Amino acid sequence: MHPQLIRELQALVGPQAVLSSPEDLMLYEYDGSVELGSPRCIVFPSSTRDVAGIVRLANRYETPIVGRGAGTGLSGGAIARNGGIVIVFSRMNRIVEIDAANVRAVVQPGVVNLDLSRAVDHLGLFFAPDPSSQKSCTIGGNVSENSGGPHTLAYGVTANHVTGLELVLTDGEIVRIGGKNIETSGYDLNGLLVGSEGTLALVTEITVRLMRKPEAVKTLLAVYDTLDDTTESVVDITVRAITPAACEMLDGFTLRAVEDYVHAGFPKDCAAVLLIEIEGLREAVDAQAAEITEVCRLHRAREVRAARTDQERNLLWRGRKEAFGAMGRISPMYYVQDGVIPRTRLPETLRRIEQISRKYDLQIGNIFHAGDGNLHPLILFDERDRAQFARVVAAGGEIMRHCVEVGGALTGEHGIGMEKNELMPLIFTPEDLALMERVRAAFNPVGRLNPGKVLPMGKACGEIRVPRTPASAAIPA
Amino acid sequence: MSRSAQASLSRLEEIVGGAQIIADGPDIAAREVCGVRPAVVVQPAEPAQIADILRFAAEQRLAVIPTGGCTKLAIGAKPARYDIALDLSRLNRVLAYDPKDLTLGVEPGVRVEDLLRALAKEKQFLPLAVPFADRATIGGVAAANSSSPLRHAYGGARDFCLGMEFVTGEGTPAKSGGRVVKNVTGYDLHKLLIGSLGTLAVITRVNFRTFPLPQTQGTFVATFSSAEAAFDFCREVSHSVLTLQMVEVASPGAAALLFSGEIAARLKPGTWSVVLTAAGSPAVVERHQRDLGHLSGVAKAEEFLPLSDADALPVLIQLREFPMLMMERVPAAAIFRISAAPAAMALLLRKLHVLAAQRDLDFVALGRASGIFYAAFLPKKDPSSAPPTMAGVIGDVFATCSEPELNASAMLEWCLNQLKTSPEVVWGPPRPDFGLMRRVKNSFDPKNVLAPGRFAGGI
Repeated sequence: MHPQLIRELQALVGPQAVLSSPEDLMLYEYDGSVELGSPRCIVFPSSTRDVAGIVRLANRYETPIVGRGAGTGLSGGAIARNGGIVIVFSRMNRIVEIDAANVRAVVQPGVVNLDLSRAVDHLGLFFAPDPSSQKSCTIGGNVSENSGGPHTLAYGVTANHVTGLELVLTDGEIVRIGGKNIETSGYDLNGLLVGSEGTLALVTEITVRLMRKPEAVKTLLAVYDTLDDTTESVVDITVRAITPAACEMLDGFTLRAVEDYVHAGFPKDCAAVLLIEIEGLREAVDAQAAEITEVCRLHRAREVRAARTDQERNLLWRGRKEAFGAMGRISPMYYVQDGVIPRTRLPETLRRIEQISRKYDLQIGNIFHAGDGNLHPLILFDERDRAQFARVVAAGGEIMRHCVEVGGALTGEHGIGMEKNELMPLIFTPEDLALMERVRAAFNPVGRLNPGKVLPMGKACGEIRVPRTPASAAIPA
Repeated sequence: MSRSAQASLSRLEEIVGGAQIIADGPDIAAREVCGVRPAVVVQPAEPAQIADILRFAAEQRLAVIPTGGCTKLAIGAKPARYDIALDLSRLNRVLAYDPKDLTLGVEPGVRVEDLLRALAKEKQFLPLAVPFADRATIGGVAAANSSSPLRHAYGGARDFCLGMEFVTGEGTPAKSGGRVVKNVTGYDLHKLLIGSLGTLAVITRVNFRTFPLPQTQGTFVATFSSAEAAFDFCREVSHSVLTLQMVEVASPGAAALLFSGEIAARLKPGTWSVVLTAAGSPAVVERHQRDLGHLSGVAKAEEFLPLSDADALPVLIQLREFPMLMMERVPAAAIFRISAAPAAMALLLRKLHVLAAQRDLDFVALGRASGIFYAAFLPKKDPSSAPPTMAGVIGDVFATCSEPELNASAMLEWCLNQLKTSPEVVWGPPRPDFGLMRRVKNSFDPKNVLAPGRFAGGI
């Protein structure tokens, strides 16, 4: 990288806010995915003006820019694939305004997801998107990836909660779209920007809706002796149009790993459990809990029990949310996928994943958002075994193809990033992709912003890209 | 007819067949947009024909406006050009409905009412309580982003639309999103089409998630002596744990349209009304009745009335059809659709009321707790003398909405054609984000084939 650019960045944001030594850069080579890429320089802006200044400098020096929050992303969205400048938003972590009367908050992109919910807890409010990494991931990252989480089943994903954005465009111009109002006349630019994975603009301020905490919450744990009974229960809950706030599934293999680590009280001898949460008015919660219990029993649940205290409930959720981390105890590395299927196809899909696991002689754990058909198969591997890693990639591709074949999607909440961009032709025609490319070019004409993400780089190949063998285990929080 | 026009007709006939081309008569008049009539109505049967038509239009520099039930063609600015009305009513199939998965894929020409009827057979619905329900089509409702009182509980079309297929202004079929309920694969281009008034692409398929019909529903009316009292009550309701399906605030003039018969007789004239519905089990509805009764008492309501299902039905229909009723009643009305932060609504309404009074206009408002409301300005006397007054108030409304303490977004959804002298009359003064919208338009429709001039910023 041009030494003069480093000096100019230092002059802009201060010498303490620019990193360029090899040992510092190494810390930003990876995120929560299995991908890697080396940036040439890390910058920590403190204001929107700083960001605009960095963008203008990057243009002058024709250098790529990648935005980064906490680096917990699972598809390589925050990785500097083509080198360049990584803009880390950790200094822009102020909650600018809590507007209780309008149930909105205005935040800088570096605010940690859970910190916002904590800051509005005393008002009886919370921020609904709750990815498992919510203790560390940032709202800027949530906006980029259109993040979800277990409770999106009832509350929707990040896009459903963003009403306004401040953007720094690729020419350094600062533009605001939307506001505190629920809609703005004209095209729904918020709808386009949320989930665009940092390829259209840099987001420097976000206005979000806050939700009111429900009167009653009930958390059920249903325990099963077969996977089929578990998945059939989920289908039946959906078919009966019962809408829990969350419906999560952990298979036996995964929950044994979790239990050894978290001691949440999951029975270690079962085939799978469902963790189901119901929220709302007391009257509605009681009735729905009874209905769900009946459905689970009908499908031979060995036991359906309700968390009796908040502590018990929190422990169950800790087990769910720290499950990925618990995998680190039994495997040096894992590859997590994020395919989505129509919910009625859940039983056959889990059977298919089992077959694939046997075919490739790989251990695959399943812990996922069953209620909305969003799978998270965790393929365990040891990166030192190159032959095994090739099987991991092949198995992952096969699972993905199955999702597409049954009418699903490549990713429900983790994003395409650089992990699945070459798989996009499985879903989209060259014409679909050409239009997306044009929309990207309308905002990001020379590809300065987060290059090599979302859209395929090669021409319509449809084959899974073999990532370079990862050099270090990356385990998201 | 000129030779080139004749040649155009022949080419269109080749694409869709002669019987599907209409060049005169009431079908042309029905597809007038803000006083501009198309030369021809073309009725394609499938997306491939739409692609051919749009490619041809792009070559020939013809302008195309997609139409469905023709109920909302008056929305938007006056088009700069308009040659072909693309009538999508033949694309009227439900392509996929999986009640077990609660997902649905439909063509744009499916009428909302027909679709809701089909879904009801499976005890499901879409939260589209939109105006012109008997004629409006799914494509039109999506393109106009029609406002529904149910947005309060279920979100707008952008929140429950899972994906779309469409044909761009260049005649290229494309899609975004998908059929599953959670999906971040690629850019959400379909969200851009919602509310785009046909200026980006022609929608050929919309995928939705469906919702279970509630077991029972309860409707309640509370009346208040002032707008402030009504909004204070709404605030208390929104701060409670209640889970309402909709909360609508009607000015005295709006209430006159909503209520009739015995209910109207029971309500004191000149009061502001709040209509609320709760849904779920009988126990849940009862709980709402109890708590709302209490909250309305604390808020010093003049009346609190639970309505029977039979009494509620006409009120809910009138709420849904509000802009249509308003226009039928006063064709010279200027009806704004305004989105404001919830806490700003009372102040904004007061200011709009003052604007109306200053120009000796009547003012009628229907507010939705989701933060969207209709504000109608009505000439009191001879409507023919109204235009200059109306033109004045329109500018004032945009200026008021842009005040920093209000920061509301307005568009003039319905007014007399003669008032539409520029796009600003409908969309308000230029905004910084119009430049981004222009870039979006250019990516979808670089030759400016689709509804040129109809959208914000003269797009």
